[in-house]
Amino acid sequence: MKRAELTSSGLTTQAIAVAEWENIRMSLSEKNSVVFAYESSVHSTNVLLSLDDQRKQDILCDVTILVEDQRFRAHKAVLAACSSYFLSRIVGQLDADLIITLPEEVTLKGFSPLLQFAYTAKLILNKDNVSEVCKCAEFLGVRNIEESCFQFLKFKFLDCKSDQQECPRKKCCTQHCRKVNPKISNVDDGDLEIDDEAEELLEKEYIQTSHTKLCKDDENAKASSALQDNTNQTSDPVHLEKGSVSSSSSQCPKYRKFQKAFGNDKVHASDSSSSTKDVQVPPVVTFIEKEIPENDSTPKAQDCVPMQLVSKCEETQVKMEEGEEDIEKKEDSVTQSVSCPVEKMDVAAFPQKTAAPHGLNSVSFLRTCEQYGNLNFSSMQSTTILSEKTVTGTGSESDKMESHDSATLKVDLCAREAVNVASTGDRSSVEREVAEHLAKGFWSDIYSTEAGQIHLPSAVPKERLEPVYSGKKSECPWLGIRISESPEPCSQRTFTTLNSVNCPFISNLSTEGCSNSSEISSGDFVQGQQQEQCPYNYVISLGEDSETDTEGDSESCSAREQECEVKLPFNAQRIISLSRNDFQSFLKMHKLTPEQLDCIHDIRRRSKNRIAAQRCRKRKLDCIQNLESEIEKLQNEKENLLKERNLILSTLGETKQNLTGLCQQVCKEAALSHEQIQILAKYSSSDCPLSFLFPERERTAPSESELVAPATAELVDGLSSVAPTNEQSSCYQCVKGVCDATYDQGQELHPGSVRTLEKTSLAEQCGQSGAITDFCQQMTDKCTTDE
Amino acid sequence: MEAAGKGGLVLGNLAEVVERVLGFLPTKALLRAACVCRLWRECARRILRTRQRLAWVSALEPGPPGGHALLQALAHELERVHVLPQTVLYIADAETFSGHEECHEQKKARKRNSKETAVAIEKLLPKRCQVLGLLTPGIVVTPMGSSSNQPQEIEDGEAGFALLFPKIDGVKIQTFHFPKEVKNRVIDENKFAEAGLKNNPDLRVVLLFGYNSWKSGATRFLHQIVNPLNEKSIILAGGQVESFTSLISENNSAQPSDACGVVGLAFSGPQIQSATVLLDQDVADERTAEAAMQRLKAANIPEWNTIGFMFACVGRGYRHYKTKRNMEADAFRKFFPNVPLFGFFGHGEIGCDRIVTGNFVLRECNDVKDDLLHGYTTVMTLIHLGSTKANQA
Repeated sequence: MKRAELTSSGLTTQAIAVAEWENIRMSLSEKNSVVFAYESSVHSTNVLLSLDDQRKQDILCDVTILVEDQRFRAHKAVLAACSSYFLSRIVGQLDADLIITLPEEVTLKGFSPLLQFAYTAKLILNKDNVSEVCKCAEFLGVRNIEESCFQFLKFKFLDCKSDQQECPRKKCCTQHCRKVNPKISNVDDGDLEIDDEAEELLEKEYIQTSHTKLCKDDENAKASSALQDNTNQTSDPVHLEKGSVSSSSSQCPKYRKFQKAFGNDKVHASDSSSSTKDVQVPPVVTFIEKEIPENDSTPKAQDCVPMQLVSKCEETQVKMEEGEEDIEKKEDSVTQSVSCPVEKMDVAAFPQKTAAPHGLNSVSFLRTCEQYGNLNFSSMQSTTILSEKTVTGTGSESDKMESHDSATLKVDLCAREAVNVASTGDRSSVEREVAEHLAKGFWSDIYSTEAGQIHLPSAVPKERLEPVYSGKKSECPWLGIRISESPEPCSQRTFTTLNSVNCPFISNLSTEGCSNSSEISSGDFVQGQQQEQCPYNYVISLGEDSETDTEGDSESCSAREQECEVKLPFNAQRIISLSRNDFQSFLKMHKLTPEQLDCIHDIRRRSKNRIAAQRCRKRKLDCIQNLESEIEKLQNEKENLLKERNLILSTLGETKQNLTGLCQQVCKEAALSHEQIQILAKYSSSDCPLSFLFPERERTAPSESELVAPATAELVDGLSSVAPTNEQSSCYQCVKGVCDATYDQGQELHPGSVRTLEKTSLAEQCGQSGAITDFCQQMTDKCTTDE
Repeated sequence: MEAAGKGGLVLGNLAEVVERVLGFLPTKALLRAACVCRLWRECARRILRTRQRLAWVSALEPGPPGGHALLQALAHELERVHVLPQTVLYIADAETFSGHEECHEQKKARKRNSKETAVAIEKLLPKRCQVLGLLTPGIVVTPMGSSSNQPQEIEDGEAGFALLFPKIDGVKIQTFHFPKEVKNRVIDENKFAEAGLKNNPDLRVVLLFGYNSWKSGATRFLHQIVNPLNEKSIILAGGQVESFTSLISENNSAQPSDACGVVGLAFSGPQIQSATVLLDQDVADERTAEAAMQRLKAANIPEWNTIGFMFACVGRGYRHYKTKRNMEADAFRKFFPNVPLFGFFGHGEIGCDRIVTGNFVLRECNDVKDDLLHGYTTVMTLIHLGSTKANQA
């Protein structure tokens, strides 16, 4: 291999040399036309940096961009180079100081990072702005931004939201729906322009929620008007009613209907409507499709997207009605509520169909919802036992079958609504809240299914939907940071308490607690409920968790910690997760009472201890395991050694037998006299067969060899039987003793070993058996060294 | 006679035919065939150059007695692989790697034994190949053969794998080792540069493994290594392992057994794309795990010629997922049906949420210096080694 490479490289160098020579010859003639290229690797970045500086100092800026009333100064050339939208807007404009007003699709939040990107190649994205930036980037056609980074971040942020979204939803409902409701009605009375309303409400803290609601209302209104047009085709009484509602008042039909349903408390054609709606939703969508061009407000490019939204809205309405029916039924009788899941199945089939190409997403989403639904088990348990039964029944089913998941989810959601309503004492005042619960619940649900449709170029729905999220985000309870920034003591309390625990079950509990607390701000029985729920959830976790986890949890669930944490303005998780230095500075940042400090330190210490204990436990287990395996190995080894010993002993016996036979033969052949044999026996060692053999021989006939064999066999047996019992040493000592005795008896006082004596004595008379004696000696040596 | 002569004529002269025939041979046989004649040698070289696909050898369960399962698998499979390994990363479980026999004197015997196994493995590999061997408490491995095999999380029991990186055009893989030295507290900048971790604009991914992390100062030392690297736009992933066994590229005089330190692999090359996600403690069920995988999927890293790495905490695995085994590996397989997954269960993880491709970098930028060292988490990393053209063989 090596050699081969060498030769080949030799060949190539030769070839190169030839080529070079030719090159030189060629270049000699055109030497003066050689071109060098200098390339700077930092130039582009430096240019960009200086441009950014210029922008900051407003040097040479020749364009002003207006976004939501804010002005940005920039360079035409840079903008045109970065964005296809600006390129088309700027080219052909002769105005020296151009002012470009961006359409309302481009928001301030989304635009400013993009402008920064244009000048720095760096895009700062966070939870709040990622979707807006994505949308604006798409709209403006910004180059060099890859879609996948938005997707990645969206999943990341969605990820933590999916756990938490239910809880904040509840919260903002209770806290703000009163504020929002009148606004909605006011605004709706005016017109359906979303942007105007948005500006009106801009200064409000909860702009996002109300904004989305308005959007929804719009969509609903549109959808219902569309339905109204098509009433002849859909002869459904509910649809008719809806249409009439939307036409009679500018208020959202949803709420109106809801009120109606409640006021009359009648079940109007529920079964038929629910079944027909499933079928009718798709045609409705197509009708709206036709109508949208007439609806001047929507730009052409986004036609298809609003339609989808509308269809979704339609769905929500369907679900809304289902929910109402559900509530009514729950109130009426339990038997009806049992029949409810079947209806839900029907409805659930539809969203699944819509999300069919994105099965994964929708499934995962459904799961989150399902989980959420499950959370409500306990709250239901405390309020209505019967409803709980139905839900748990379906819940257990859902574990088994994926396809049932969606169905049960709906059931759970509806059941939740039912409980909400049932638990609230005065219906009339909470009516709207519940309606919003419903609306929001379904709305966000839809959002998730839609977010799953990755490739959907949906500018409008995203825009309209994301406020819901940002609104929630700002109050996302699991992120301790957020909460510490805007602590809202009233409804947050229970949830922070429970949130301290890492266990997913407990955190579920926390969302649940939140939902409860938000449900009934006046009712006292929430407290009782929660005390009931706590063990319930805990039981679940015991059932499924591993032992160590539950230990930790039970500890952290202690009442004291809960109490303490109630007063803390931030999350316990944060206390635990911070490193030591960060923790110190963190404590300095917040002004805390000594009790609180104590409590925080306590929590931190506990959690650290817990972690340490876990580690310690693991280490110990490892250690034990190691030792056990060590013991096992050693035992194996011991067994092996014993076996080896037995083997050696048996071979020793065999050799001895052989030796005896040989000796016998030799004696026979040499025809030794009795005296000679005796002398030989005297000189030979005790464990040499001769010494045993000849006394016996003395007794019996000297030529009888038949008896000898059994005797030696006996000896061997004796040895081998002794050997396993570990008393071989004593046996050998005994043998040695005999040997010594004979040795003493013998006149030869040779200081050497007995073996040499044996050897010499044997060598005297049977020279040919030297090899055997050698072997014998080796064996005995081995035996003695073993001792 | 005549036919044989004709055959000889064809096989001795027609490079196309020879190349096609030799193309079916595994590397070792190919190298033997290369000794036949000049033509064959040239053909063999051309064929070897086209084999730029990652190969791996995995051992999932204990084989017959006599050496670690990975050693046996390697001895067997190296005859059959179609690449000439240039860099090898092997990870085996720490418990059985030291061998079963002769453990009278506990620690010493064990160390010596693992060393022996490591040497045996190194002997199997080509001479000039860089080898990095790690011992960890648990192994994540994709069975040999197809890259769409179901990856297995083997939390205890004899297992191991060896990733065989051939020479890939435009990709440079370097091993490095920074032992903690008592004398000079500051790490030698030259060593950084030597390992390709400095002044290397093409650096994309660094896999870092700390060993002997229980030693005092080990974490600080690791921080010392990680923090300067974290300032770059590269993917950092890895974890704390039990110990490392072989590292041929370095001189073996440094005693790895007593001091702590960091070993690793640096992948550089403009065509490398990579993404990583961190599954933190809250990711404790199927849904959240899949959400994390979805996130990784959204990074839109090409899925061919790509390896997945999973570095998990010993505390995770089936205990963390309520006795559901193989949860994370299954979730990974669900979203990445054709990416082989490798990794380990270690004593700590290094990682974050980040994407690095040739065109852009997406990373967190907090005011607080983000800490890459975690515990009780899982780091999932995808490394795409670029679009090699002739790697379909």
